[in-house]
Amino acid sequence: MKKLPLHTKIVIGLVLGTIWAFASSYLGWNEFTIDWIDPFGTIFIRLLKFIAVPLVLFSIINGISGLSDVSSLGRLGAKTVSAYMITTFLAIGVGLLFVNVIKPGSHIDETQRIKNRLSYEIWLQDNNMGLSQDGQSFLSDPEYSKYLTDAQAEREMSEQERKDLEDKMTKAEQTKESSPLKFVVDMVPENIILSISNNQLMLQVIFFAIFFGVTIVLLPKDSVAPVVAFVESINSVFLKMVDIVMKAAPFFVFALLAGVVAKMADTPAEVFEIFLGLGSYSLTLLGGLFFVIFIMYPLILKLLMKGFSYQDFFKKMSPAQFLAFSTSSSAATLPVTMECVEKGLGVPKKISSFVLPIGATVNMDGTSLHQAVAVIFMAQLHFIDLTIGQQLTIVLTASLASIGAAAVPSAGLIMMIVVLQSVGLNPAWVAIIFPVDRFLDMCRTVTNVTGDATVATLIAKSEGELVPDTTG
Amino acid sequence: MIKRLPLHTKILIGMALGLGFGMLCIQFPSMSGFTIDYIKPIGTIFIRGLKMIAVPLVLASLIIGVANIGDISKLTRMGGKTLLIFIVTTIISITIGLSIVAIVKPGHKLPESTRTNLMELYNSNAAGKIDFAEQVKSRGPLQPLVDMVPDNIFMATTSNSAMLQVVFFAIIIGIAMLKVPKDKSAPVIAFFDGLNEVIIKVVEFIMLIAPYGVFGLIASLMIEIAGDDPTKAWELLYALLWYSMTVIGGMLIMMLVIYPLLLKTFSKINVLDFFKGMRPAMLLGFSTSSSTATLPVTMERVEKHLGVSEEVSSFVLPLGATINMNGTSLYQGVSAIFIAQALGLDLSLSSQLMIVLTATLAAVGTAGVPGAGLVMLVIVLEAVGIPAAGIALIMAPERILDMVRTMINISGDAAVSVVVASTEDAIDEEILKEHVND
Repeated sequence: MKKLPLHTKIVIGLVLGTIWAFASSYLGWNEFTIDWIDPFGTIFIRLLKFIAVPLVLFSIINGISGLSDVSSLGRLGAKTVSAYMITTFLAIGVGLLFVNVIKPGSHIDETQRIKNRLSYEIWLQDNNMGLSQDGQSFLSDPEYSKYLTDAQAEREMSEQERKDLEDKMTKAEQTKESSPLKFVVDMVPENIILSISNNQLMLQVIFFAIFFGVTIVLLPKDSVAPVVAFVESINSVFLKMVDIVMKAAPFFVFALLAGVVAKMADTPAEVFEIFLGLGSYSLTLLGGLFFVIFIMYPLILKLLMKGFSYQDFFKKMSPAQFLAFSTSSSAATLPVTMECVEKGLGVPKKISSFVLPIGATVNMDGTSLHQAVAVIFMAQLHFIDLTIGQQLTIVLTASLASIGAAAVPSAGLIMMIVVLQSVGLNPAWVAIIFPVDRFLDMCRTVTNVTGDATVATLIAKSEGELVPDTTG
Repeated sequence: MIKRLPLHTKILIGMALGLGFGMLCIQFPSMSGFTIDYIKPIGTIFIRGLKMIAVPLVLASLIIGVANIGDISKLTRMGGKTLLIFIVTTIISITIGLSIVAIVKPGHKLPESTRTNLMELYNSNAAGKIDFAEQVKSRGPLQPLVDMVPDNIFMATTSNSAMLQVVFFAIIIGIAMLKVPKDKSAPVIAFFDGLNEVIIKVVEFIMLIAPYGVFGLIASLMIEIAGDDPTKAWELLYALLWYSMTVIGGMLIMMLVIYPLLLKTFSKINVLDFFKGMRPAMLLGFSTSSSTATLPVTMERVEKHLGVSEEVSSFVLPLGATINMNGTSLYQGVSAIFIAQALGLDLSLSSQLMIVLTATLAAVGTAGVPGAGLVMLVIVLEAVGIPAAGIALIMAPERILDMVRTMINISGDAAVSVVVASTEDAIDEEILKEHVND
């Protein structure tokens, strides 16, 4: 048992957790699971999160202050940002391809889609928004008039849903109103300690840390030596803390999974129902995400790197990936991602400590793929044909949204509202995909984290600093 | 060629260009949106950068400052002297403000129509500030002293307006480091020393974008004041001209009479040299209207160009940035009376004395953040029974006067630091001679 590699143990924890959740819901022990097992999962996420901010702060300072030449940092920064942008656009492209080929929204009953379409047009009329994007009007077509009353009836939402939605809509509204340069302004902290005390202000911490690190490089060595020594030693302390926490990861992952699944539904039947209900949508999205993880990233690496080993990459990355899956938070996974990338893939600290924290906050390949698939799925569901041009608008909005998403908690759905509004669709539709979102979020995070690692590897390679670990 | 220009010249150019550009935007309103969206952020980023570094700077520089003094009796003597001068200059400035406003009577020149317009314009804004001041007023007289002690030091450092608590904590830590054996405190001192070094360098980098930031700040300020109606801008400004002139006149007396007198009496420094050396910091204070944001530059000028030793400057200046606000207290005196005049209230001598007291205490509690002075003004108004809603009257020129009074605050801090350094014999004459004109 002791000799098993960590990622195998994590998988075992993951599987056992899921089995436990199903078994407990079958036996009616759900309450016990949520009261006594789930808290350990929360503890795990908290442990990782409290390490994340100091680790980001000190590892960036440490990494950059180790550079001999600051001008390379500008090149590194430009490369990082463009690499993240390219992978994000590719991921969205994959999403569009999948959703257009599979057409998950058209697999349901035709009459239901017509009803959906009618209610959408009524919504457009109510909001004085003119015709729908494809320029057709089902309402004026007498053939469809028999469905009209049904469509109207279905527009009524439950009270709870409406409240939920309004909440998210106001948040989306706030996000939309800001000036185009707001996100640049928001990167500069007003008070660095305040930024450190808030996980949502990670980008400000990164900004400060980079600035601080660069300044250290530009000062004479002897005057900053105590600061460098302090940062270096405290950084290694935090890294060791990650190690220690990860020793218990299999157990924590078990608790996390048991809790997540138990909270989703009371009985196994209900869980299956949730997935079946949105089966084709979930499958399309999962297909897209897996394609990006298992084909696109390795392909990019293979093309640009000689001697890239597919198996090796996933073996080294798997602890971070499983962790991303079970925590569904790239920030919480960050400490482990850094360790995997540095020790496993051989990316030097000064690159990983720069590229990965930025990736964890701004690179959201999985999230933007999800945006594209979900929005077009919803359009299909409502019998709205979107041209490629309209879909591209969605792509652009979605990728911009994914950058801004860094600062917003449970950002995915809120950003989705922004995207829907920007293309003239009814933002209330996010309610359709609420139920499966928790699970899909887990998969999205895996994609995000894998994307970060891929870019870090690529940049290390292009800088000629990749030191593959041959010990396995 | 552009690179060779000294920083303060570049800042001045940025201000002038910003002013011209702002005027242009008012003439061509279609440009306003662009300016607010794309040029203002440069200014905002600049100010945020300075704010970002303020707390670490105060913390590191004050701890090092106290620890480097190495002599606790010297600290207390210097501290006592500093506080005394701060209080005296503050009282002088309020008295000047009250006298000049009583002579000029700007409130009687305010047209009725402008007043109602302004009331409507700023009504909601003023209401919010009144609520806040209500809470502050209900505290006991020793509350400022209580508030100086942080509940939780990390909480205090997360808020720029709790700077006084950070100052308090840093002083205590500095003293404590002096009291433990040297070999135990050495690594901590070395760390903060290096940290201080890095932070000051960071400030230098941030200052590189100062000319552009200042340009953005001034251009957007013009637009926000006038909107797209140039005549409205002129009318409004003219109506408040008298009031503003009164405030500025009072501040000029501070700057041209009181400070030179102070410097002449207690130090050997040439008054002209003092203003030459301080010019960049004063200009920056003028354009950022935040003495906290300017603090790093003030410290650099005072140390590297006026030759004040780091021990003195790192103690006097951060303290001064938070508690010594000559310009702000003068402004509060003038504003309170101006509002009273405009609303047809006559203030007795005792209520004027009350203004002096409250404004002095308020100045102590006001952190060096733009806008905080306004909150304190409400407290002053309430203390003497002037309807606090009257504050809406002076909201329009507030930003401009904020800029001027920040400049006075900064010169006051610098003058006090020079005086303290002179009496402590801590001025490096050579630095003064060589670098004063840089």
